[in-house]
Amino acid sequence: MPLNTLDAHRWLADHGDYLFRVARRQLHSDALAEDAVQDTLLAALSAQARYAGDASPRTWLTGILKHKIVDLIRRQVREVEIPRDADGEEAVDSLFQQDGHWAEPLRPWGNPQAEAELSQLRRVLDECADRLKPSMAQIFSLREVAGMETEEICKELNITPTNCWVLLHRARLFMRQCLELNGFSKVGAA
Amino acid sequence: MKWITTCKETTELASRAMDERLSFGDRMAMRTHLVICENCRRFMQQLHDMRRLFQTETRANDAVPGLSSEARQRIANELQNKLDP
Repeated sequence: MPLNTLDAHRWLADHGDYLFRVARRQLHSDALAEDAVQDTLLAALSAQARYAGDASPRTWLTGILKHKIVDLIRRQVREVEIPRDADGEEAVDSLFQQDGHWAEPLRPWGNPQAEAELSQLRRVLDECADRLKPSMAQIFSLREVAGMETEEICKELNITPTNCWVLLHRARLFMRQCLELNGFSKVGAA
Repeated sequence: MKWITTCKETTELASRAMDERLSFGDRMAMRTHLVICENCRRFMQQLHDMRRLFQTETRANDAVPGLSSEARQRIANELQNKLDP
């Protein structure tokens, strides 16, 4: 089928890099991102009869990719057991005193948006994201990077809303802490 | 949620408020705490800062290299295999 051949290879040529970057962003791994792109194009090939052409090919492929990314993440989340109350609870407690007050005062961040600081920010953001436990990093990334709704994330990852929300909250606490310890309180204030 | 919340409880509310609309009671409890607590006001501001930063960072991500030529070739081969079994 020459038409199929042409389409599939054109998708790779025209949208491969774009799909790879989207996947890389969320999976934090070149190899997994390459798998996601491959799975997406193979699925697109099987499903192309259903592609009515009302969305642009990129939009259509990105929609498929989103599911493939979730599949890959779901496989990893399963591998990482999500304990009911471990997985960072003690670490969360260490941020607060017994009576629930902050253990340490929070330092102001200044204006972390300053353009000139962006490349340094990017490095710190990546480092801190890599330091999160995988189950937290993935949920954090789906919510804050991909902008998915929490309801959608819980459903896709097949975890309870409570579990999902607890992981998100802990991820935010740790991410904030990590950013502050890695110079965020000085960024923009300089 | 009770009316007088601790910082720890307030961070939970502030975090949840990033994802959904809080109940009236929770909203009042959070606001009451925020009025008197600079640390938690900062925490909430920083949750918003983080969201903006990660989204800005995502847009800047287009500068990241794309597929390696090896990966591209491998995927092209897989597509071809599927096309001519």
